[in-house]
Amino acid sequence: MIGKDEIVGVLERSLAAAAGDEADAIVVASERNVTRFANSNVHQNMSEESGELVLRIIADGKQGVASTSSFLDEDIRHTASLALDMARRSERLEGFTGLYGGNEPVAELPTFDEATSRLADADKAHRLRAMFDEGTTKKVTFAGSFSTTVASLAAGNTNGIRRWAPLTAADLVTIAVADDTSGFATRMSRRSGDIDTMELGREATDAALLRRHDRSDIDAGPWDVILGPPAMAEIFEWMNMITFTGQSYEDGSSFFVGNRDKQVLGVNCTLADDPLDPEFAPFPFDAEGMPRRRNSLVEKGRVHGPVLDRLMADRLGLEPTANAASPGSDEHGIALHVSMAGGSASREEIIATTERGILVTRFHYLNGLIEPRTAMMTGMTRDGTFLIEDGKVTKRLPNLRWTQSMVEAFSNIDTLSKERRIIGTWWNTFGGTLAPTVKIRGWKITGRSGA
Amino acid sequence: MTDTRSLFETTLKSLSSKGVRYADIRATTTSNEHVKVRNGAVENLSSATDRALGIRVLVGDGWGFAATSNHDESAVERIAMRALEVAAASHIASTQLVELSEVEPHIAQWSSHFEIDPWSVPFETKISHLHEATDPLRDDDRVHQVLGEISSYRQEKIFSSTEGSYIEQSTTEMGAGLEVIAIAGGEFQRRTFPNPFGGDFQARGWEFIEEVDLPANGRRIRDEAIALLTAPKAPAGIHELLIGSSQLALQVHESCGHPAELDRAMGLEISLAGGSFLQPSMLGEFRYGSDLVNIVADATVPQALGTFGFDDDGVPAQRFHLIRNGIFVDYLSGRDSATAIGRRSNGTVRAETAARIPIIRMTNINLEPGETSLEDLLADTKKGILVDTNKSWSIDDLRLNFQFSCEVAWEIENGKVGRMLKNPTYTGITPRFWQSCDAIGNRETWRIWGLPNCGKGDPLQTMRVAHGAPIARFRNVEMA
Repeated sequence: MIGKDEIVGVLERSLAAAAGDEADAIVVASERNVTRFANSNVHQNMSEESGELVLRIIADGKQGVASTSSFLDEDIRHTASLALDMARRSERLEGFTGLYGGNEPVAELPTFDEATSRLADADKAHRLRAMFDEGTTKKVTFAGSFSTTVASLAAGNTNGIRRWAPLTAADLVTIAVADDTSGFATRMSRRSGDIDTMELGREATDAALLRRHDRSDIDAGPWDVILGPPAMAEIFEWMNMITFTGQSYEDGSSFFVGNRDKQVLGVNCTLADDPLDPEFAPFPFDAEGMPRRRNSLVEKGRVHGPVLDRLMADRLGLEPTANAASPGSDEHGIALHVSMAGGSASREEIIATTERGILVTRFHYLNGLIEPRTAMMTGMTRDGTFLIEDGKVTKRLPNLRWTQSMVEAFSNIDTLSKERRIIGTWWNTFGGTLAPTVKIRGWKITGRSGA
Repeated sequence: MTDTRSLFETTLKSLSSKGVRYADIRATTTSNEHVKVRNGAVENLSSATDRALGIRVLVGDGWGFAATSNHDESAVERIAMRALEVAAASHIASTQLVELSEVEPHIAQWSSHFEIDPWSVPFETKISHLHEATDPLRDDDRVHQVLGEISSYRQEKIFSSTEGSYIEQSTTEMGAGLEVIAIAGGEFQRRTFPNPFGGDFQARGWEFIEEVDLPANGRRIRDEAIALLTAPKAPAGIHELLIGSSQLALQVHESCGHPAELDRAMGLEISLAGGSFLQPSMLGEFRYGSDLVNIVADATVPQALGTFGFDDDGVPAQRFHLIRNGIFVDYLSGRDSATAIGRRSNGTVRAETAARIPIIRMTNINLEPGETSLEDLLADTKKGILVDTNKSWSIDDLRLNFQFSCEVAWEIENGKVGRMLKNPTYTGITPRFWQSCDAIGNRETWRIWGLPNCGKGDPLQTMRVAHGAPIARFRNVEMA
């Protein structure tokens, strides 16, 4: 891994090369190792070392942003020259008060795990092989990926801000396939030691084999559903884009517009962007160098507000929330650590207290662009959808299509589990989603898969 | 300094001496530029340059791949050694044989064609073009946002393999689009031109942006966005559905292109993107669509986003049918997958950059035009609904159950286009839907659409593909 001195050195060289009135930059050097498997066979295995510098220059109130994957002096100078040229040719930013200069201290957080940074390719392969071999005894095969990342990040600006943090992440996604049924399990952590491949393999296997010979179908219509953390995470990934970002607030597509400080959702719905929780995937600063903090998105059903970078905060006349993903990026604030408060029940108790409902492991191919103002989404279930009758899982169901407003759904939450799980995602090395199992009343099932 | 070709060939020779069955080296330099104007002001001027070097090795039946953003000489040897380490680890958990289909070695250069280099056009010209297109659209209180954007893309790529190929390719592309958001009385409507998500894209230069002509089309979509605010909702029920070229292109993408990827059919993508209902046993037998339906994969279409000289296995670009007269006849395949169905690679393996493993990707997947003119198609429709321009898309993990929403719809009554309708959503099961296709528009209704954002793989790779589609009619389609 590139160490602190080297990565901060790249930051210093970048800011030194930046002419104009102000400049800020984020520098990331990472090594990512991804082992993909299918049919209980490793079919893709890769190691990538990469670098990225994103440099923003402000000149006469105008902004230019350039990036490069090279940390060579000549490429940094060229990137700075491009950013300045674009700033000069651009137009003044409405209401922008400038780059961050507060320099408040950032939290000391456990972002790095030495063992994860040193996890050998062969160790991962042996762990996967053991999972495959156990699957063979149960007549299931596995597909998925086991990835580890080690990174070094620096952010700063010409107002004297300097931030640095190392980061590790480990993420296992696995499905178990038993002929025509499948089950799913996943876990993400800063520590690879938290990823128990055998335990996750068994969890996926149990879901693949559960009620595999007891099939049933259901009618479309409103149903009580119990959504596992991976299903909740997919919903929140879309809500991030259509509801939480500064851009979705400004363009009017977010249902937060006109609803700040109003009771819009159920009192048992509390959502936050929480990068400081040590049990989640903590990270201490944003791409503009601001100290991260817990931002309430929804508190007991009452809407608080979007997450904002400094430019959008200035434009909207609100406070920035330290959620810049990259200097000058299009979403103008994104929630990289979506955390849903849990309840007091166990997953088993939620199932046991459901007279008739559907247990959903995971969703597939959600889309939240149908009617963003109600967060109307559609999607399919996959890798384990079950009928619950009289408090017991009685039948395996086909994959189901649903179309549902999340404003309505989050007003109809019945129960939340105490246990929550971190779910990673492909686009977010910094964090992910921390979600419980959630029972929601009246979820609209609209169809099913099948030839 | 050693020249690139000598360096790569020396490295490949060294890998061969270490017992690899196969190895290749790729190097890419990828440049992107983006200009965005929102609500009368420049919002974003950005430029990105990405360099990548990737080495892939096959040792026994274990693949190894390593990549770096560092292009210097010392990196090549280091990355080669890292790829060998990764392959050795793969061997521990590899349980299946790898067989590569044959390919002839090629020494070649290929480049896409453009008339006006995107990077020769000053920022000021691009900005003023967007102002010209967007500023006049803000003269109505109901217009909440007006966005215009122009994108430029270039990738220089080198491929060298142990089988003797050395191929240099260069692709240049541009894209442009408009978006208008209208809000009134709690109603929110978005209308885009010529396509959502950045507009339309082709492997051409500034001449394409001039041809798209954003300024000439802005007023129409602004008026449509406003009209949609008070338009009636498209009715639910079973309808005769006419699907415009833009939306049908995405329908082809989701319900034919993806399920025809052989790696999906083999289960290699099931944990993330999903599998496919199209199984090898169906080849040459399965009725995918009506007799009218012909879908080709064509990586040789001039100026389209899925066009190239050679894929990232070094296999030449090809044109072949996936669906012929409604029957499923072929997959998109690569060298390490084609052998599983007893065929040779048809050259569809690509990676976003050299930092990613090449995987099967769509090229230009085109629904061939039929013989019906737009006028005849409308005249022949007594009662139906015409939909166009995608708003949302969703399809199950086997690519069977789909649901699409479009930006706009119109009633068709007795062969005439009638009222505008808002929020049309239709759903179906892929083969039943394509089997219900009873009319396909002629060449005049056909055009090719560039999609620069097709996601697949882990780590996710965004690929640039294209789809040609005419207007077409489908019977008994369920609308929500």
